[in-house]
Amino acid sequence: MESADHILIVDDDAGIRDLLTQYLRKQGLRASSAADAHQMRAQLAAHRIDLLVLDLMLPGVDGISLCRELRSPGSAPLPIIMLTARSDEADRILGLELGADDYLIKPFAARELLARIRAVLRRTRMLPPNMGQRQPAGRLYFGDWCLDTTRRHLLDADGTVVALSGAEYRLLSVLLQHPQRVLSRDQLLSLTQGRESDVFDRSIDLLISRLRQRLGDEAREARYIKTMRNEGYVFCAVVRGEPEAA
Amino acid sequence: MQSGRWPQSLLGRVGLILFAGLAAAHVLSFWLIVTERSMAMGGMMVSYLASDVASSTAMLERLPPAERDAWLPRLERPNYRLALTSHSQGPTSSSPLAQSLVQAVATVWTPPRQVRAVDLGDPGTFSLQLALADGTPLSVIITRPGLKISPWVLAVLAAQLALLAGLSWLAVSLATRPLEQLARAADALNPARLPSAPLTTPLPERGPSEVTRAATAFNAMQQRIQKHLDERMQILAAVSHDLQTPITRLRLRADLLDDTALRDKLHADLLEMQALVEQGISYARSAHAAQEPEQLVDIGALLESMTRDHTDAGQHVTLDFSGHTQDPPSYPTRPHALRRLVSNLVDNAIKFASAAEVTASLNASGTLSICVLDRGPGIPPDQLKAVMQPFYRLETSRNRGTGGTGLGLAIAQQLALVLGANLTLSAREGGGLQACLVIERTGDVR
Repeated sequence: MESADHILIVDDDAGIRDLLTQYLRKQGLRASSAADAHQMRAQLAAHRIDLLVLDLMLPGVDGISLCRELRSPGSAPLPIIMLTARSDEADRILGLELGADDYLIKPFAARELLARIRAVLRRTRMLPPNMGQRQPAGRLYFGDWCLDTTRRHLLDADGTVVALSGAEYRLLSVLLQHPQRVLSRDQLLSLTQGRESDVFDRSIDLLISRLRQRLGDEAREARYIKTMRNEGYVFCAVVRGEPEAA
Repeated sequence: MQSGRWPQSLLGRVGLILFAGLAAAHVLSFWLIVTERSMAMGGMMVSYLASDVASSTAMLERLPPAERDAWLPRLERPNYRLALTSHSQGPTSSSPLAQSLVQAVATVWTPPRQVRAVDLGDPGTFSLQLALADGTPLSVIITRPGLKISPWVLAVLAAQLALLAGLSWLAVSLATRPLEQLARAADALNPARLPSAPLTTPLPERGPSEVTRAATAFNAMQQRIQKHLDERMQILAAVSHDLQTPITRLRLRADLLDDTALRDKLHADLLEMQALVEQGISYARSAHAAQEPEQLVDIGALLESMTRDHTDAGQHVTLDFSGHTQDPPSYPTRPHALRRLVSNLVDNAIKFASAAEVTASLNASGTLSICVLDRGPGIPPDQLKAVMQPFYRLETSRNRGTGGTGLGLAIAQQLALVLGANLTLSAREGGGLQACLVIERTGDVR
């Protein structure tokens, strides 16, 4: 049951740790906390944790290596929400996507974190286990295009930057992470929502048509995004982590 | 104000004084020499003319009157001739030369004869009127000798004056050039510079000792300013960054409160604080925007997606982009910096006018211009430049307690600098503000 979900909060700031634990408990969740990587590992070993709220900048260990450790093959899939203060370092790391399921910029509202926790839990339960896993890749190649996930824009065949709006980027990156798989509008909405704090109220259909326009794709003869009648959309091109050998 | 004739530059003034002084001294000594020479010549003329006249007179007196006229041309000298004509009744000449000649000629004989000097109308020409022993009137028509100055003397004089003028200019420009360089370096001193770039090019510390000292002092001052600016940026970044954790704690504490009215008030205050912190971080970070590599960018897509982000967030932003079809669709620039810059201007417009219009054009010669227009209260013309300085705030209605940091436009200015763009604010016709960004394409893509 959702009310029994166990959240582990890892943050080096005692105030934030205690306040978040208190708040999540008040909301009917189980919550534990850890101050560093060492305590985190101990907690993970002792309890069945459903979701990790992880501060990106922990003393001694950076978010990249912790995330890599938690995402390494063989370890149990564990949804992660990253917390980070705004900084250049955080930007750089977040650009790598890390494989975290979501991230929140400090300062954030407690309600916002709760909403993200629920969204991530819902999402990971909705999709098969292997699909919640994201590959931390800086660039995804498909057809003539390349999506730069660090800078969050497209590059065409000539290397020209083709910018995307926030919503377009989120939808395209969700599609690229699940190629050859039909995603319903509800799934797409759920997967794209809640990644950013800005309002996201455009319908999926409008965003799809904008993306097709950007990619020079036709709805009838789709090379990239195919419409599956009464089902949703499927990204039909091959997605690679490196450019196709020319 | 100075009169138009007095030169404005130090070079002109000192050069003029120096040259005028030297030229005056030169002309004066030239005049002195000429005067002295003509005085000496005058004295000589008086003495030889008196004895000449005496011998000519004696000769004429010995000749029979019929033969006298024939001899006259032979007695002529370059500066006088003799004439045996009746005396004209002109005014008595009073020039010192005429008087001394009258005196000298009259006393050649003993007893002295009657001699009178008469002006002949032409200046410098007069005649000495006397009579031969038999009473025949004799006129000595004297043309005052003009001092002949050879053309080569004038040429040498002109050459000397030209040399003086040239040397004065050289000397003065030698003295004023370091000043000029100092002024140029100070002008180029740009606090809104690219990070890591020096404020201005350091002055060469060489030359005469005074110049070296001034250059060293200037360079040291420049470094101090640079250090001060860097420190200001670092302090702002550090304070902004470190405030994030306590603000996060406060927000969480507020979220745990049961008193909803108090919680909402706390939230509002905290959001304002957060906005300040974000601006501070954003400003400090705009210094690093130059690290972004230049890339070919589809400007249309960039502006469109940026506009969509704003409209997706429920803001009123319109876009009117006219790119020439014959243009290449891509433009070399730093896409993130450009997007942040335009977005910043749009945020500013929305803050004060609740709506923004973006107009952009890319012409065939590679000039990209992007304008963000609003119908807000605008900015008084005398403060249009100042608002781009960091921490500058308008006293007027534009800062109506919206939590402005005075950094928004400074961030835009900093980013414009990174992009090599020219950002200008102006009053929009019909009210409001117009912020225009112009980028000229230069060089190749790196």
